[in-house]
Amino acid sequence: MVKSSLVRQAFVLAALAFVPGVVQAIYFGNKVSWRSPVPASEMVTVTQARAWGENAIWVDARPDNEFARDHVPGALPLNEDRWSELLPQFLAAWSPEKKVVVYCSSEGCNASREVAHRLRKEAQLANVFVLEGGWEEWLKEK
Amino acid sequence: MNDTSNIKHQTSNILHFLWRIVDVIVGGIFIYAGTIKVLDPVQFANDIDNYKILPWTIGVGLAFYLPWLEMFCGLALILRRLYLGGLSILTALVAVFLVATIAAKVRGLDITCGCFGHASQNWNFPTHLALDLAIFGVLLALSFRVVSGNRLQDAV
Repeated sequence: MVKSSLVRQAFVLAALAFVPGVVQAIYFGNKVSWRSPVPASEMVTVTQARAWGENAIWVDARPDNEFARDHVPGALPLNEDRWSELLPQFLAAWSPEKKVVVYCSSEGCNASREVAHRLRKEAQLANVFVLEGGWEEWLKEK
Repeated sequence: MNDTSNIKHQTSNILHFLWRIVDVIVGGIFIYAGTIKVLDPVQFANDIDNYKILPWTIGVGLAFYLPWLEMFCGLALILRRLYLGGLSILTALVAVFLVATIAAKVRGLDITCGCFGHASQNWNFPTHLALDLAIFGVLLALSFRVVSGNRLQDAV
């Protein structure tokens, strides 16, 4: 009796919560991307980024050892481990008309998203993009 | 005999009152936590994603759904309506959350809790764990009280 009451009550609560959840999801529909943690407007493909040529400033968000092994030619290292140390070097190379392209190892890594977020929020930079597919995608297109 | 019976009755009333206070406090905590997350579901989606357990799409869905579930269950505890269901759901949620938090720590992930939105952003791992274990303990105690209360009624 207790068990069936528990299940019924839990079901009712779960169903009740579903309604405002769906309404809110619809309301926030254009504020969050369901496909990727980064909105489409802040993502860029390798082809697009390459087309920017000298107007792009590449940022490598991977750990130091990976950057040292290989990286996009001309890319600057800027990772969360050494953020305060590396940021001045990046800012010295940056200018407002440049588009910042941040990458990490692959589609699934978080580092590029985190670094891009910090550049927008802490350094107050506009035109910061995350490279779709990351370093893996760069190597494929190479 | 009458005096003993009166004392027992009064003690029972006091205990019942104290447990009701616990219901209100715990329910209030979950309503507060749910409200904070309802106000910033994008941040909560990112917090869920940081645990690296669920795909992003499912995380977003949960970010919109779970805060409301927390709030309704918290309300259930306070109003004593659908109480058993609310208590069970909250106990299960906290248990899953505890396991996920410990697993993330073992995997070396540096995560923010997300349980109280930005309010808990700067908490360290021991603080998170201590609070979650405390809440889980209280929920278990409330559950045990319900179960033992039902057993007593069945026996009578």
